[in-house]
Amino acid sequence: MTETLPRTRRQTNPPAARKLVGQSMPRKEDLALLTGTARFIDDIRLPGMLYAKILRSSTAHARLNRVDTSKALQQPGVHAALCGQDLLGKVKPWGDMMQDLLVGDHFPFATDKIMYEGQEIAAVVADTKYQALDALEVIEVDYDQLPVLVDPEKAISPDAPVIQEGISYEFGDGNIFDRYRVRVGDIEETERGADLVVRQRFTSNRQAGAALDPHGCVASYDSFTGNLTIYSSTQSIFMVRDILADTLQIPRNRVRVIVPDVGAGFGSKAQMFAHEVIASVLSMQLGRPVHLVLGRGEIFRAGTCRTGQVRYAELFLKRDGRITGYRDYVVHNCGAMSLWGNQVIHIGTNVGMLPYPIPNVHVDADIVHTNTAPAGPLRGFGIPQMIFAKEQLVDVAAEQLGIDPLELRARNVVRPETFPYRTPMGQVIDSTSIYDCLHKCGEAIDWERKRAERVPYEGVGLGVSMKYTSCRHPSFDTDLSAVRLRLETDGTVTIFSSDVSHGQSHATFLAQVVGDVLGVGFEKVNLAQPDSATSPFGLGTFASRAAAVLGTACRQAAERLREKVVTIAAHVLEASPEDLETGNDRVYVRGLPDSGLYLENLASYAAYRTHQLPPGFEPTLESVATYDTPTEREAPDGSGNLSVTYSSAAHAAHVRVDPDTGRVTVVDYAMAHDTGVVINPLVVEGQHQGGFLMGIGMALGEDYVYDEDGHLLSASFKDYQAPYATELPELTKIYEIPAPSLTIPGGQKGAGESGAGPVPAAIANAVYDATGVRFTALPITPERMLLALKEKERQGVDTLRFPDDMPDFTGPRTHQEWPEPTASDEGDILL
Amino acid sequence: MQQITLTINGKSVTAEVDERTLLLEFIRDVAGYTGTHNGCMEARCGCCAVEVDGEIVKSCNVLALQVAGRSVTTVEGLSPQRLRPLEHITTQSLAGVYKPLDALGADAKDLHPLQSAFHRKHALQCGFCTPGMLMVLKDYLEDNPEPTREDVRRAISGNLCRCTGYQHIVDAAMDAAQQMRVAAAGADSTADAADA
Ligand code: FES
Ligand code: FES
Repeated sequence: MTETLPRTRRQTNPPAARKLVGQSMPRKEDLALLTGTARFIDDIRLPGMLYAKILRSSTAHARLNRVDTSKALQQPGVHAALCGQDLLGKVKPWGDMMQDLLVGDHFPFATDKIMYEGQEIAAVVADTKYQALDALEVIEVDYDQLPVLVDPEKAISPDAPVIQEGISYEFGDGNIFDRYRVRVGDIEETERGADLVVRQRFTSNRQAGAALDPHGCVASYDSFTGNLTIYSSTQSIFMVRDILADTLQIPRNRVRVIVPDVGAGFGSKAQMFAHEVIASVLSMQLGRPVHLVLGRGEIFRAGTCRTGQVRYAELFLKRDGRITGYRDYVVHNCGAMSLWGNQVIHIGTNVGMLPYPIPNVHVDADIVHTNTAPAGPLRGFGIPQMIFAKEQLVDVAAEQLGIDPLELRARNVVRPETFPYRTPMGQVIDSTSIYDCLHKCGEAIDWERKRAERVPYEGVGLGVSMKYTSCRHPSFDTDLSAVRLRLETDGTVTIFSSDVSHGQSHATFLAQVVGDVLGVGFEKVNLAQPDSATSPFGLGTFASRAAAVLGTACRQAAERLREKVVTIAAHVLEASPEDLETGNDRVYVRGLPDSGLYLENLASYAAYRTHQLPPGFEPTLESVATYDTPTEREAPDGSGNLSVTYSSAAHAAHVRVDPDTGRVTVVDYAMAHDTGVVINPLVVEGQHQGGFLMGIGMALGEDYVYDEDGHLLSASFKDYQAPYATELPELTKIYEIPAPSLTIPGGQKGAGESGAGPVPAAIANAVYDATGVRFTALPITPERMLLALKEKERQGVDTLRFPDDMPDFTGPRTHQEWPEPTASDEGDILL
Repeated sequence: MQQITLTINGKSVTAEVDERTLLLEFIRDVAGYTGTHNGCMEARCGCCAVEVDGEIVKSCNVLALQVAGRSVTTVEGLSPQRLRPLEHITTQSLAGVYKPLDALGADAKDLHPLQSAFHRKHALQCGFCTPGMLMVLKDYLEDNPEPTREDVRRAISGNLCRCTGYQHIVDAAMDAAQQMRVAAAGADSTADAADA
């Protein structure tokens, strides 16, 4: 259960006690989902609907010579077939906007080259799914195999085969499609002055969102109006609408994106995909609705997954434990193509420096293509990768300095005298309780006792992070959400928003916000389905932005609406607006809550009795508000306040390792968070628990395992180790220590990703404490654990770094051998 | 093509189908009960779980032909859709004058104890895994009325949920088990009274 603790330090003024915000309201969303009446993408049925299926490449890198769909067209039930050549010159490539490329690198199908296993080759549309699948089998594909690049470090070598040909990047024609750097402070000086330098090479895994509801869409083109309607399982309707319209080169007001219930995304549905273009083109050609929902294997191979990283990380400290600097060279694996991949390293590194206000930071990153699945955002957006490396270095340093890991963190976490406080990296910390969170989670796991009383093969570990609450992306100069409210003529309220709720409970928490501001009953507020034809423009649901950014837009829209109803009421009641209150579905004179005018009356004046309105009052009761966060663009040196506020997370793990099977069991876990003002505690608790699941999956099993030929070996739930209920401990030690945001008017902070960030680090630290094996690669699978334990025994050592200390490890073992970043300080144009 | 008949949620459904048709597809596409979800088609996620003659099966892993003639319960059968007063917000000035219209839907008070416990405990976020979870837990709790939390975790170890981290699902199952015990005790005592 979540327990809310009073803050022991600096207390910011909480907003006045409110009726609905802060309550664990059971959700409005639930009834339909519980009874099977909710409609997800695969449940959409339109009259005359046809079924499309995609033929995908079974090879990872090849010259594509010819695709022949003519036999498929002869198959029973088949209406049309498409391949890349059919669309060349007609469909505009996409992917340029987010990656700052001159031209897009994404196309609906491979045209002359296959770049990863699972890439789209052709599509068929037929009366039934089976007919479409049968027809795919007779499509002829002729290709010549090319050498395959799976390892990102090999991709940067000058003689590596080039994956994306014909696109010239800022840095030449190789596989490095972007670079990233941070230059804050003076790292050379820091190195000279450091009493301790700890270093390690870390590699992190690629994890899938694996949302159970498949990616998919139903496209329906109306040849009479020329309007294309697309139902899609997506996190962002306007991203899909704008990019789809641009790709098809049709007017944006002719494309309508409607979103059914979405069975989660975790970042994996935050972009437009090829299947959305393919279904649209087929529907435009046939004038009939086209259903195209992907299978699980297709989603694993061609949906997006977490970016993989190789980090050569160094942490500089003083004898007293003060962290003075961080240096890193990162090879950032984005797969064969990636819309968001380069943003992940920017934001993950910038924000991932927290919760330490490190004065000197020097990072170089090569952002590369490999012949693997497209990478993109996934719960945590680069933070878990960064924290995994940095928090393990903190433990390495603690051991060498003889300082307790909790104490070392306590000495370093950001704990300014006054808020807001700007860190050297540029983050503006408007409030935080990270110091208290750290101690709380230590106390909850019984840190001191467990550190003192050793149990063989058991250990405890810590991980701390601060997560962005939404973000101004370096390639985008925007961070906005919008809400339009309409007070209907019977006094109910409709909320229009384009930010798709896919588990985040928008219908519930927005109704809580509106209810409080407007004084309207919770049950009278309804959230309209996200629909680009009716919803105000917003970026979508990702980056833990709903409660803070969308919630603020909603609060402002509600305040504007409130002002309007109060103005009308003041006129009718002949009272002064300052003397009026809202509540109980009415506007009343302060102190007389049972009197006054019902909202329904006020709304009907504004629609049907306009002579009752104050002179000059513009009729109808709608309001719209757009909230763009007061965040900064990334500076050329990599610094900047990219996020409007930061949620703190301190986690402590207690693990047990079975030396016979290699299995790591998390026996106990404690997490303390600062999520600011919590609108719905039950919902936020659920977000933390879900984040924890993703963190455990990343730490202990989930991975994209490729063979040398670029075949994904874990492209089904049989091989992909998504955690089941038996693999998670009881997670009851969840604590909130709220430090309300000073920037966000309601004080909220993002909740969605705090639960995930520190988990791999906390578990890895605990695993080291239990076994003496420092895992530098994720995930920590039983096989790897057994290997490491055997090797440790063979070498007769107390501690071992895995895999670096393995006899067959081929990577550099000391920092003198570490690769030079391919970026240099001279010559490159920054940003 | 072959003609088969299945009873789904008490209604008989007959159709001529391709022999390859999975039970999952029969339920969703022929009978139109889309509450049974397809999350993997490889018998791993449990989103497609239904009861066939009281036994839980993953309907993506069974051909419709294999269960021809048998009786299937889906999530839609858990709390029957029935005519009930529509959620009704009467205008204040007419309060009490009109009764709400009846409309087809599920009523919160008719919900199966598991459904209402899932609602109270926030055991669903996106809700995609929920129908499968509900069916598996219903089947399990009917046979095992006094489970431990461990038992519940084992019972759902063929079902994936990517959102909740399972914690609230286990909470809800324990809560529902309690409710179901109370209900069963109530039913027993009425039965005893009738016997006497
Ligand atoms: S769809 Fe049947 S188990 Fe996943
Ligand atoms: S609630 Fe989303 S998968 Fe379980």
